[in-house]
Amino acid sequence: MVIELIVRISSGIPGLDELMGDGGGSFVDNTVTLIYGPPKVGKSIFSYQFAYEGLRNDEPCLYISTDYGLKDMERNIANFGWNLDEYIDNETFYLIDAISTIAGVEVESKPNYFLASVHNPTDIMVKLGMAIRQITSKASRFRSVLDSLTTLMAFNDEVLIVRVFTVYIMRIKESGGTAIVTYTEGSASCKVENMLKAIVDNIIHLDGENLTIEAMIGGGKIKAHYDITREGIIVD
Amino acid sequence: MKRTYIPKLDDILGGGIIDNASVMFSAVPGVDYEAFGYQMLNGRLRDGDKGFVFTNVAEPETIIYEFRSYGWNLEKFLEDNRAFFVDGTSPFMGLPSDAKYSIEDYSQVEEAILEAIEDVPDGIGVINNLSTLIDYLGEDETINIIKKWNLHGKKYNTSLVYLFTKWDYNFDLVQNLKKSMDCVVEIKTIEERVIIGQGFMVAHSSWSKPSDTMVLFFVVQPGGVKVYIPKILVTGPYNAGKSTFVKKISKRSVSVDRKALSAFPTTIALDIGHLEYKGFIADVFGTPGQERFDLLLDVLGRESVGAFIIVDSTAPQTFARAKEMIRKAKAEAIPKVLVANKQDLPGALSPEEIREKMKLGEDIPIIPAIVTEGKGVTDALEALLGLLYGD
Repeated sequence: MVIELIVRISSGIPGLDELMGDGGGSFVDNTVTLIYGPPKVGKSIFSYQFAYEGLRNDEPCLYISTDYGLKDMERNIANFGWNLDEYIDNETFYLIDAISTIAGVEVESKPNYFLASVHNPTDIMVKLGMAIRQITSKASRFRSVLDSLTTLMAFNDEVLIVRVFTVYIMRIKESGGTAIVTYTEGSASCKVENMLKAIVDNIIHLDGENLTIEAMIGGGKIKAHYDITREGIIVD
Repeated sequence: MKRTYIPKLDDILGGGIIDNASVMFSAVPGVDYEAFGYQMLNGRLRDGDKGFVFTNVAEPETIIYEFRSYGWNLEKFLEDNRAFFVDGTSPFMGLPSDAKYSIEDYSQVEEAILEAIEDVPDGIGVINNLSTLIDYLGEDETINIIKKWNLHGKKYNTSLVYLFTKWDYNFDLVQNLKKSMDCVVEIKTIEERVIIGQGFMVAHSSWSKPSDTMVLFFVVQPGGVKVYIPKILVTGPYNAGKSTFVKKISKRSVSVDRKALSAFPTTIALDIGHLEYKGFIADVFGTPGQERFDLLLDVLGRESVGAFIIVDSTAPQTFARAKEMIRKAKAEAIPKVLVANKQDLPGALSPEEIREKMKLGEDIPIIPAIVTEGKGVTDALEALLGLLYGD
């Protein structure tokens, strides 16, 4: 008999790993998790914590940002007392910045920093491929964040973004990554929302008070209270 | 005939494209292929033709910037009124547009492009991106509009170039799109977990019988689309028959042998060969089998797009070494074929037995061979090309 060892990776959210799996990590390695909920309930903060937890443990992170450019992200993250600079410099933090070109911001080019446009999913996928190739040449495991699907849908046809998302998931999984993806509840049609839920492995809902694990590989439904503090999200 | 300005493509197409051709570049997501359309446009403009870009993926400013990064000066052609934009991006972002045509609503796109075609008789129009158009207009509507544009292109002797990203559309739609075009160029990836190479091949052309050859390319800034000759790695334990394999597979080869000290010459540096098969061109590098040369494996493996692993089927004690060499050559991450050599010798294990002993997945083809007699060499090559071409 072959016993497959399920590797779980830490969420970076205090309290969540304990809640989900005896403190041994939250997300099953090489899966994709949808984080969704109304606006301003902490989806991006959740993403920062997930990414930062990996970086602190030498796991590279490939971040696709559609709402904040590099400078904004650094500032947002610094608000919680975390420092991205070190990981930008040592090239473990990879950013595909899909908003700065639109905002007309001039940015210096770095090997781990890619400019793309929310309008051009084809180009985002090209940059994704380039970044994955670099990352997998130095690490067998990495994290990825796509924040957010909602913005991509605002600039493109929803169905196109479902197609793009399918390719994103395929690329991340093939190359050994574990991803979380954010989406603002109700911003797409019901049909599209169901499609999104159907193609991910795990689903977490945030509503500003409670965090509900609606679906999770190797786990059941769990609901717990959370707070957004100066140290980020903390689950009771 | 007009040139495409894409290296090798004109040769494959029999000299270039017919003047009023409709050409679709159809790419799997993740391939850098926008440059194909822009390179054609730039070449035609430079040779005195007129042209336009329809964009629904980036504002004109961004596209001018992209041209500049390739080393091409689109601004000059815009100033000379030899090139213009049909801007389907800026109005959707609430930005002002000073393009000759700007699309505020997708219902205007059909008419705007028909007019644009009339503006560039004998010239070229680039549509970037067809996929985005499909998702806005719907499948049937898009096919209808494309047919009208292509007819109009025929009338005004204008070449139309479509950039199409093949997301998971249904088969019929893709077939219908292809049927609406004079020429389809498929842009593919070579992948093994991650994309390690990209290549183009002509799927069909109405004016010529193109060969089904994949040309490997990369996109450089400045420069645009450049083709390159890929490396194929031949590796395996000592005395498995690597040098002979390189010789048999190549049109010409050299070997750096040490003959003096031994009755059995052995490769102490490299076997280098050049392979041409059904239009596919590659340089072949055979590595030495001895462990003290393992450093080379890493270097060669990193630059290769495919590998042959040669094993002596009568020597299962060397299989562990073969697996070690796969790992050291980073060949886990490139498409590979295992060549089970010396099948004519007593005690040779069958491919199935070797797969079992080496614990290889079904995705790695194992080809029985007697390399000294050339048996199995072509099969092995066919198997590797099958993996590289992905179908």
